[in-house]
Amino acid sequence: MARVVPLLFAAGFAHGIDMMKYVIFFSTVASSVLSAAPDGAQLFTTNCSACHILDQMIVGPSLAEIRGLYDGKREDFVKWCVAPRKKREGVIEMPSMVHIGEEGLQAVYAHIMEVAKGVKIKKQAAGDPFATSSVYAERPQVRRIFMPNASPAAIAVALDQNTSLCWDAGVCRLRYAWTGGFIDGYPYWKSNGSSVAAIVGTVKYTEEKSPFGETKNAKFLGYSMKDKLPIFSYAVGTQMVTERFAPLKESSGFQRTFTVTPTPSSALVLNFTKQDGVTITSDKGTLEGTKLTIAPADAATFTITFTLK
Amino acid sequence: MKIFSLIAWLSLSILAHGWIENFSFEEIANPPGIDPQVGAMDILADGRLAVAFHRGDVMLYDTVSKTWSPFASGLQEPLGMLADKDGSLLVMQRSELTRLRDTNGDGTADVYETVFDDFGMSGNYHEFAYGPARDPQGNLFIVLGVASNGAPIAKEIRGEFSEIGKVDREGMTLRELWKKNAGNVGRMYSRVPWRGWVLKLSPDGKKMTPYASGFRSPNGIGFDAAGRLLITDNQGDWRPTSPLYDVKQGGFYGHPASLVWTPGWDGRDPLTMPVEELDALQQPAAGYFPQGELANSPTWPVVIPKGSFPEAWTNQTLIGEMNQKNLVRVLDDTVDGVFQTALVPVFNGSPLGMGSNRLAFAKDGSLYVGKTALSWAGGKGITRIKWNGKPFLSLDKIKALPDGFVLRFSQAIDPATLSSLTVSRHTYEYHKAYGAPKKDDTKLNVSAAKLSNDGVTLTLTIGALKEKYLHVIDMAGLRTKDGEKMLGSKAWYQVVKAPK
Repeated sequence: MARVVPLLFAAGFAHGIDMMKYVIFFSTVASSVLSAAPDGAQLFTTNCSACHILDQMIVGPSLAEIRGLYDGKREDFVKWCVAPRKKREGVIEMPSMVHIGEEGLQAVYAHIMEVAKGVKIKKQAAGDPFATSSVYAERPQVRRIFMPNASPAAIAVALDQNTSLCWDAGVCRLRYAWTGGFIDGYPYWKSNGSSVAAIVGTVKYTEEKSPFGETKNAKFLGYSMKDKLPIFSYAVGTQMVTERFAPLKESSGFQRTFTVTPTPSSALVLNFTKQDGVTITSDKGTLEGTKLTIAPADAATFTITFTLK
Repeated sequence: MKIFSLIAWLSLSILAHGWIENFSFEEIANPPGIDPQVGAMDILADGRLAVAFHRGDVMLYDTVSKTWSPFASGLQEPLGMLADKDGSLLVMQRSELTRLRDTNGDGTADVYETVFDDFGMSGNYHEFAYGPARDPQGNLFIVLGVASNGAPIAKEIRGEFSEIGKVDREGMTLRELWKKNAGNVGRMYSRVPWRGWVLKLSPDGKKMTPYASGFRSPNGIGFDAAGRLLITDNQGDWRPTSPLYDVKQGGFYGHPASLVWTPGWDGRDPLTMPVEELDALQQPAAGYFPQGELANSPTWPVVIPKGSFPEAWTNQTLIGEMNQKNLVRVLDDTVDGVFQTALVPVFNGSPLGMGSNRLAFAKDGSLYVGKTALSWAGGKGITRIKWNGKPFLSLDKIKALPDGFVLRFSQAIDPATLSSLTVSRHTYEYHKAYGAPKKDDTKLNVSAAKLSNDGVTLTLTIGALKEKYLHVIDMAGLRTKDGEKMLGSKAWYQVVKAPK
């Protein structure tokens, strides 16, 4: 050990070579490839046990189920572990275990076949463990989640126990409203977003387009909350629009209050979608069927009422 | 609240010896009724812990009274948070970066302001969004995950659709054709803007600069104490094992799907490009987490603040890990200006468990670890970890030398135990397949181990270091003079640049 090694830690390593006291010489052996017989149980614990347990499906199938599938098919098992695919709906795909190596996977196989011998499969607990949580049952409620028939940036809103709607931040417009409940988000949460939320109830009104017409360049600005109900903000061209939703007290449906700033220079024409069972009224302007004309002076704020049968 | 009993734990695992004698592990009571999978955490200016949960609720935890209060709700898969001095919270959710403000002082957010949402969403479940990290100038950095071929895209998407790829839009959308098409789209794909990219945003979010590409599932972004933008990513296609990157503007970080959004891109399908060309384009990882050993799914980086953990750890980076029962500590090194790291386990064999997704240090120096599973392997809830101030043996610093390493420990090593130390190294093949085995795994001959006379500095001579190799130093057999074991006794040093 005659060679002086330059110490490169200016501050960190304050001790000079001359202060080195203990010098250990190791026997000189040629570098060799590491090799040891793989320990199946150990490899299983490190690589597999987080997702697979003995008798019950958790993230992945139980060892008992795997034994049923692969007993006597060691090479199929190894092939699957090296190149797994998505196989089961609502279950995530297994990552490749190629890093364990073929011999290691064979050892894991032997371990699984051994410990799962004669083990019976227990049934998986079904359903949302938070189905009865008051947090998620609170009304009104705003919840961003993947929704059917909307863009991935949709927002679900429960106005009250009965009436809900889907407002889409991706295109800055109301998509549809329904009665009978809110959403079941569990299909989304349990699949990590692989499924959309399920609508609880019946869709009663679907708006085909933004009432302002083409909103391709509309810009979503966010929302504020008042009395737990959302007021959506967005820009259409040079105009700022806010849209507030509230449930109806006496009947099924919702109120929708718009503000438009700055005041438009000409009359505002809004087109809603004609639909059976839906009655539309406005506190301002002239309504011809589903076409609403608002004078510039009235555009600062106006409220449309949608009654749903 | 449940404090793990020493005796109960010792009976569970002999590995527990060590960490629990120096750190307490306390499970925080979860807020009632909420799925306690943690997506984001930060400490507010007033010292409270802000936590965003899997289903979108943001709750504030008073660490003194140990009570929860609601702040916001309804966010979609929040996976990053930054508490501002004015009490507002920046939260990254699937669809946008949102600022949550309490403008009427009632303790809950009444404004959910969209700070930035100018990126694509295909509706594919794997398009998670992470961040923000903030630089000293106030710029915000977010990073967007790519889609998985475990599912197609939605009929309606947000943003432009990229036609680059073997499968057209209809084929990317139809579930009934997906079995046939999934094998032709890439294991992970980027068909809407900026998936797989780091985006730099002006402090107000109004100006966006595409910053760096090549990311897959980067569930960790943050600045280290030296101002480097660190990003972790997950093992998978084009990721032989999980990497740690020091991200620079204009860099490409290995996963090719995102290349199609490079400004001025020539239209080639990255999947048709020769691996050698992609390899030449990519920036090297500053560290690797070996799969199955250190981390399978590394998460958020945080800087260890002074006064929380042993002084030598101050300003080091600590990283979470979802699938292994440990955190990871980053030991920095620089060779000819090139940043490279050794990664060492922390709290392995402790009661910590799996699922460590987000980390936050409270003002009292305790570390809050928020856990999640997200339908993968993981955990849930929050564990508070506090050091009791007792010293213990750890590796505190490492430096590459032309013919080995110099290591500094927190306590003197018993020279009689030096011969137990082993060093090996391996590399990984960069390829399209999911993960990779160790390649060229070789045990190295340690020709000398020199200990300084105070016993804390060890110089290992192993011959020239090899670039692109992960050098593994196993110190499990080292003991202090009192016979104490080392906590976190294995170091994985990725040599990007070998000293000459």
